[in-house]
Amino acid sequence: MNKRILPGLAAGAVLALSFLIAGQTLPKVGLPILTTSAGQSTDVTTLNIVLEDAGIAYDYCDIPTAEMVADGVGLGGRESGPGFHVESTTDQAKYPAGTPYKAVVFAIGASMKGMGASGLTLDSEETRLKKVIELCKQKKIFVMAVHIGGESKRGPAGSDNERMIDAVAPFADALVVTKDSNKDGRFTKIAEAKKIPLTEVEYALGLVDIVKQIFQ
Amino acid sequence: MNIRRLIPLAGTLVLAVLLAGHMTGAAGQSAAAGTDTAIAGEGCTSILVGKNASTDGSVMTTHTCDCGTCDWTWRHVPAADHKPGSTRKIYHISQYKTWPPSEGLKWDLYKKDLAGLEIPEVAHTYAYHHGMFGYMNEKQVSIGESTIGCQRKMQNPTPAAKLDLSMLTLLGIERAATAREAVQIMGSLAEKYGYGFHDDGEMLAVADANEAWIFEICPVGPLWTPESGKPGAVWAAQRVPDDEVSVCPNESRIGEIDLDNKDFFMASPNVVSLAVDMGYYDPKGGKPFSFKRAYSPVEGSAVSTNGRSQRLWRFFDIVAPSRKLKPETPNMDLPFSVKPDKKISVQDVMNMTRDRSYGTPFDPVQGIRGGPFKNPNYYRGTRVIDHGLAEYSTVTQSRAGLPDPIGGIVWIAFGSQDTSCYMPLYAGMTEIPKSFMVGDHWTFSRDSVRWAFDYTDFHVQVAYSEAIKDVQAAQVKYETDLIARIPEIDQQALALYKKKPAKAAELLTGFAINNATTVTNAWWKLGDDLLVKYNRLYMYNAEKRGFSRGQPATPDWWKKAARAFDILMEPEKK
Repeated sequence: MNKRILPGLAAGAVLALSFLIAGQTLPKVGLPILTTSAGQSTDVTTLNIVLEDAGIAYDYCDIPTAEMVADGVGLGGRESGPGFHVESTTDQAKYPAGTPYKAVVFAIGASMKGMGASGLTLDSEETRLKKVIELCKQKKIFVMAVHIGGESKRGPAGSDNERMIDAVAPFADALVVTKDSNKDGRFTKIAEAKKIPLTEVEYALGLVDIVKQIFQ
Repeated sequence: MNIRRLIPLAGTLVLAVLLAGHMTGAAGQSAAAGTDTAIAGEGCTSILVGKNASTDGSVMTTHTCDCGTCDWTWRHVPAADHKPGSTRKIYHISQYKTWPPSEGLKWDLYKKDLAGLEIPEVAHTYAYHHGMFGYMNEKQVSIGESTIGCQRKMQNPTPAAKLDLSMLTLLGIERAATAREAVQIMGSLAEKYGYGFHDDGEMLAVADANEAWIFEICPVGPLWTPESGKPGAVWAAQRVPDDEVSVCPNESRIGEIDLDNKDFFMASPNVVSLAVDMGYYDPKGGKPFSFKRAYSPVEGSAVSTNGRSQRLWRFFDIVAPSRKLKPETPNMDLPFSVKPDKKISVQDVMNMTRDRSYGTPFDPVQGIRGGPFKNPNYYRGTRVIDHGLAEYSTVTQSRAGLPDPIGGIVWIAFGSQDTSCYMPLYAGMTEIPKSFMVGDHWTFSRDSVRWAFDYTDFHVQVAYSEAIKDVQAAQVKYETDLIARIPEIDQQALALYKKKPAKAAELLTGFAINNATTVTNAWWKLGDDLLVKYNRLYMYNAEKRGFSRGQPATPDWWKKAARAFDILMEPEKK
C-alpha cells in the first residue's frame, strides 16, 4: 500500500468515529463567530486552532462580558491587556466592526490557574457566563458548547469543571464533546433533557469537520 | 517646606520615582501572554555540571522546584521485576494539582487519574526517589527540570496526549540505566503515546556518572492523533561537554543540532520537518535550523527585560566571569554552555541555587528595594535564581568510581534555598524520611519537614539582614560540615558494599534519615530562637537574659528614605 495515503485513511477513520446522537442533524449557522472560554482552561486555544485548521475566521476573547458580545465584530475596539485577551481574525471587509455575531462558541473547561490569571473566581465566572448566555438568547445568537478536555478534566458534581458545564451546556444550541468527556453520559443526559443536538468526537481533530459543517 | 532641607533628600526622591518606574516596567513584561509563544517566565532553574568541570569528578544537576502552591512531598519507589505480558498504567499527573491532607497524599491520589492507557511493562524497573519528578535512581541516573514553553499552536492539552512531564520522568527514571537511555526512553514514549495534556515546552537535565544532557520536549499541537502515524512529540537533546557547565532558566537552550555527532546530539525524527510544516522554519531561508528559535523563541536580554530574564546571564557571570558576557546580549545569543573559570564543588552549586544577584545591576536590595533590613523578598521585579518560591530544591551528584547506590546522591533543601539546608539522600537508600512524605501549604504540621524550614524562613523575614546570619551559621554546621563528612560515609558504605550490598543500603538509609531528623529538629529550634532573638524588633540575648532596644539598628538611609516618601506623598499646599 502507498504509505502516503495511510495518514489520510487514518484521519478519515478518526473522523468516522465522530457521530451525532440518532435522529438529530447538525445545525447550519453563518458567520461571524466569537470564541471564548467557560472556565479559562487552555481548551479554548485548541478550539481556536481547530477553527484555523478548518479555515474559519473568528473573534476571540477570553472573558467577554455581555456588553462586549453585543458590540459585535471587533468587540468594540477593545484591546488586550493584563488578564484580558482579544484577538480578531474575522474578515472585516466582509463583516465590518460591529456586525452582530451569529454564534458564540464556548470551550468548557475550568482552570483555577487560568481564572486566577484573569482575576476571576468560580462565582464571577459563572455570573459572567450567565449574562453572556442571556444576551445570546435575547439576540438569538447561536450558542455552541464544546468539551474536549476529556475524562481527566471532569470532576465530581459541584466541582470547578462541573459548575462550568452547568453554566453553559444546558443552554447550548449544539454540544460537541470528546467521547471520553462523556464517559459518564452527563452530556447525553443534558442533550436529551434539553433536546440539544449532541455530537461526540474521538479527538479534537474530529471537531474540525464538525465546525466546517456548522459554520458554512 | 524649606528647600535646603529638600536637597539632601532629592537623591532619595529620584530613586523612589525611578524605582516606581522600574517596577512598572517590570510588571509590563509579564503581560506577554497572547503572543504566539506560551512563555514560561516564573518557573524553575536547572543547572548542569560536567564531570570534568566539578572538583570531585561528579556530574551534577539541579532543580529549584519554583511554584509556591505545589506539592512538596517525596516518595521512594523500590525496584521491581515484572512478568512477561504485564503492563504499566499511565496516569495524568498535574504539576500544580494538590489535595487537602484530609483527602490523602498526592502520590496516592494521582493514581485515580488514569490517562486511559497501559503500556507494555519492562522486565525490571529500578528503584528511585521522586518528588514532582523522578530525581535519582539506583543506577545514578538523575533528572532536573525547567519549563521552557513552546509556540502556542504546539500546545496539546487534549486527552490524545497521554503523557505529562511528571509521568514521563517516572518512566524514564524507572527504566533507564544511563542518561542516554533515559533520553531515548522518554523521547520514544512521548512520540508514540503523545506528549502534553498538563504540560507544554519542557527541559530536563538528565545525567549519569559520566554525562549530562539537556533534553527539551514540546507537544505537536492539539490536532495530533495516535492514528496519524506521526510522532506525538518533538524533542532534541544536547550533551553538556564534560569540562563545561550549563543552565536552563525557563528558556530553551538547544540551538543548532548536528545529528551526525551522536555523542552530543539526539532528536526525534520530526525535529526539523515539524518546524517546516508548522511554518516555524524555512529551509530556504539560508539559516541553519535552531530548535529554540523554531519551537520556543524568547526575545530579550537581562537588561531589556528589566532583570526578569537575567538568570541566564547571571549564571554564566558567576561561573565564568572571565568571559565578560554582557547583560545586554540577547539571551538567545548566549552560549549553550561554558567552561567555568574554576572547577565547581557541590557546595558551589548549592550556593548558586541560593543566588540573589547581589551586587549586579539586578540586585533586589539595591536602594530602598529591600527595606531597612535588606530583605530580598520585598522586590520581585527581578527574577533571581532563589526567588523564594521553591517547594524544594535538588542538587544531584552522580559519581563514577563508586558503586551506583553509593555514588548517586540527591541533596534536597525544602522551602526557600537561602534559609534552608541541603540534606542528602543516597541512591541506594531503601526508604526516605517520613517527614519528607507529608504536608501541604495550607495546613501547618510539625510532622512535615517543609514546615520546619518555613518556620525558620518566616522568622527571618522580620530582620532579614541580621537573621540570615544566624541561618548561615546553621548552614555551615549542618550542610558544609556534612559535605566534608561524605567521603567518610562513602568509605564506610563501600566497605559494607563489598561484603554485602544490602548492609551498605542499611547504613546509607540510616545515616540519611538520622541526618534529616537532626537537621529538621535544628531548624525547628532555629525558628524558635529567631522568634525570641528578634521579638518585637528588639534584639534579645537568651544567654545574658538581656535585650537591646537599639538593635537591630534601623539604618540612617532608611530613615531618610522614609522622610523622602512622606514628602513625595504630601498633598500640595495651595
